[in-house]
Amino acid sequence: MNSRWRPYLLGIPGLVIITFPFLWLQLDPDFDKHTVGISWAPSHGLQFFGDLSPVFLVASLIWIGVQANRHFGWDKSLAQNQTWQQTGRAWTHYWAWGIMPLVLSGSLFLSASILSLLTNVGIYMLLALGLNITVGMTGLLVLGYAGFFGFGAYFFALSQQNLPYFPWWLAGPLAFVLGGGVGYLLGLPCLRLRGDYLAIVTLGFAEAFREMMRNLDLTGSDRGIILNDHSMFRSFAGLGSGQMGYLFTALLLFLAVFLLQRLYHSPVGRAWIAIRENEVAAASVGVPVVQMKLLAFSLSAAIAAVAGVIYGAKDGFVSPAMCEFQQSIMILAMVILGGLGNSYGALLGAALLYLVPEYLKLVPSMIQGHPFLGNVIPPFLRDALQHLSDYRLLLFGGVMVLMMLYRPQGLLGSSRRKTEMQHT
Amino acid sequence: MNSSSTLTEILIDGVSRGAVYALVALGYTMVYGVLGMINFAHGEVFMIGMFACIYAIGVFSTTWGDHIFLNLGLGIIVAMIFSAAYGYANERIAYRRLRKAHVLAPLTSAIGISTFLQYFIFLTVSKDTVNFPRYYSDFLTNHRIHFGGVEVTYLQIAILSLALIIMGGLFYLINCTRLGIALRATAQDQLMASLVGIPVDKIIAFTFILGSALAAIAGVMVSMYTNVLVFDAGYRVGLKAFTAAILGGIGNVPGAVLGALILGLTEALTTLQFGSEWNDVTTFGLLMLVLLLRPRGLLGERVADKV
Repeated sequence: MNSRWRPYLLGIPGLVIITFPFLWLQLDPDFDKHTVGISWAPSHGLQFFGDLSPVFLVASLIWIGVQANRHFGWDKSLAQNQTWQQTGRAWTHYWAWGIMPLVLSGSLFLSASILSLLTNVGIYMLLALGLNITVGMTGLLVLGYAGFFGFGAYFFALSQQNLPYFPWWLAGPLAFVLGGGVGYLLGLPCLRLRGDYLAIVTLGFAEAFREMMRNLDLTGSDRGIILNDHSMFRSFAGLGSGQMGYLFTALLLFLAVFLLQRLYHSPVGRAWIAIRENEVAAASVGVPVVQMKLLAFSLSAAIAAVAGVIYGAKDGFVSPAMCEFQQSIMILAMVILGGLGNSYGALLGAALLYLVPEYLKLVPSMIQGHPFLGNVIPPFLRDALQHLSDYRLLLFGGVMVLMMLYRPQGLLGSSRRKTEMQHT
Repeated sequence: MNSSSTLTEILIDGVSRGAVYALVALGYTMVYGVLGMINFAHGEVFMIGMFACIYAIGVFSTTWGDHIFLNLGLGIIVAMIFSAAYGYANERIAYRRLRKAHVLAPLTSAIGISTFLQYFIFLTVSKDTVNFPRYYSDFLTNHRIHFGGVEVTYLQIAILSLALIIMGGLFYLINCTRLGIALRATAQDQLMASLVGIPVDKIIAFTFILGSALAAIAGVMVSMYTNVLVFDAGYRVGLKAFTAAILGGIGNVPGAVLGALILGLTEALTTLQFGSEWNDVTTFGLLMLVLLLRPRGLLGERVADKV
């Protein structure tokens, strides 16, 4: 008992001490003497913890659930039901076909704002699927994935603006090829080495690309490029432009999921998993490690470029902010949250991480207008929900750490992946 | 002023930038040398050092008034202690339990820690830039020594001499002390090191603490040099320092210093030729070039992959 709690007994006071000045003190710059003073500001820290109170609430609920599960063994009784597991596995191949008409017909009855939101979710799903190839399947860390996304979008915008006879339908396939080419060139020097270098080189690529787009006059510097209606999704056969964008994204997403799923069960996918599990062992049984890694990396870069084209065609606006590091981290967090190496996990992660912050913005106004909830929910919780979207990236960071410590396989990960992540 | 002295000044600026990058890059390279993992939260530890120093100066100047050297000296020490504590916390939370896990696991958790720390400072301290108190840095930045037609500020001299002293001390520590032997043994083989009685956990924690304290010194120097503190400063400088470490051959201590100097000079020359907004582009161009020609970095030797 003593040894179990000892790290917490020492660690929690330690954390309190090292965060003390930032939480409970406030800097008072003295502009006349150019010096700085300090004052006691408890409201600062109280606000921080107050704003995070809904998170603590949710976290403690999850903790109670996990403890209860450990006590009663719900997951084991579910797993014992073998028939459920077997039929479940066979069924996954067909549920995509069942859900397809439902998703596609959504374009007919959903409102324009929701369609636009769902198209954005689709773009992030595509990005998460692409990143899942490298990070999840092959075990290579890519930290500048948004750079390829920005590359595709800028390629589309520049080609639309400067090449008058460039057919719009060629932009997607060409972005796929060019994005893959850029990925290939970038991967060539660093994939011959062990995985870590790729992370930093891609991060450097994204940063350098963003700075370049920001500095060049051709790319509209900080303001980005605003495209005219001509280059965006157009209305066709009675469907509006928003509906066309939604349909196009959804179809592409189904195609991507289907093809990637086939790829993962092919020799190429097996080779990727072998590299992820043990690179040296994979090489020794004849897997062409470097080629396979390059293939995975260029394929994922190509998918990001296509997502960039869709983004450009949908919003008609590209800017350097698209390739920011936060964007890359967010896509990475989607893949990790959903489950590394699981396509459906990537889709789930993208949907959760995109929609939850969006809906958090709507919650306060919903509560305000509600006749019953408006009185029940205490005012401090209402404020906290209002501020929570500011805390998004802080929470992503925390979730990434906790996921790695307690559920490294992600929400939809397999137990096989868990053992892989924990012991190699 | 003639052009050759301007060039010399720019080179001196480049070398002092390089010295700062070297202090941060040493932390990356030591952790990589010992654990074989990138410490992605190192840049944030550097940023914590910046902010801890300014908070300490604030506390001291409200307690006993503005004494430049006393407050600044104590501020650097407090910054080192705070950074070391954050580095240790990072090791305990993000690395220790995941040391035997797949490479991706500690990397991801370290990125999580780094994002968390950035936005922790963003939310609690300031969403905007904070200015370093000029009263404390003016003495160092405004006084210059004229040296054969070249002007060098006290701060540049302080940075260079401090960096030299620290690096000398570090080389002594690694190569000539029992602690250094234990450190190198841990880097070579953790299991064997623990069999001969080296406390591996403590050595790894010590590596993180040492690197973080060095990063704190660099943080204070940078905040005096550029006069602004911002929550994502650690990410920018950390990225550059990591590039420097790769450039010189990661895991190699002299390589990190060499890489940092090259990087600092490249940046200074880019600023002269094209303007400072192109710094990132040339830096990463250089990195790609070096990785293409010498994949292990300038001083890195070829090591077989551990199975």
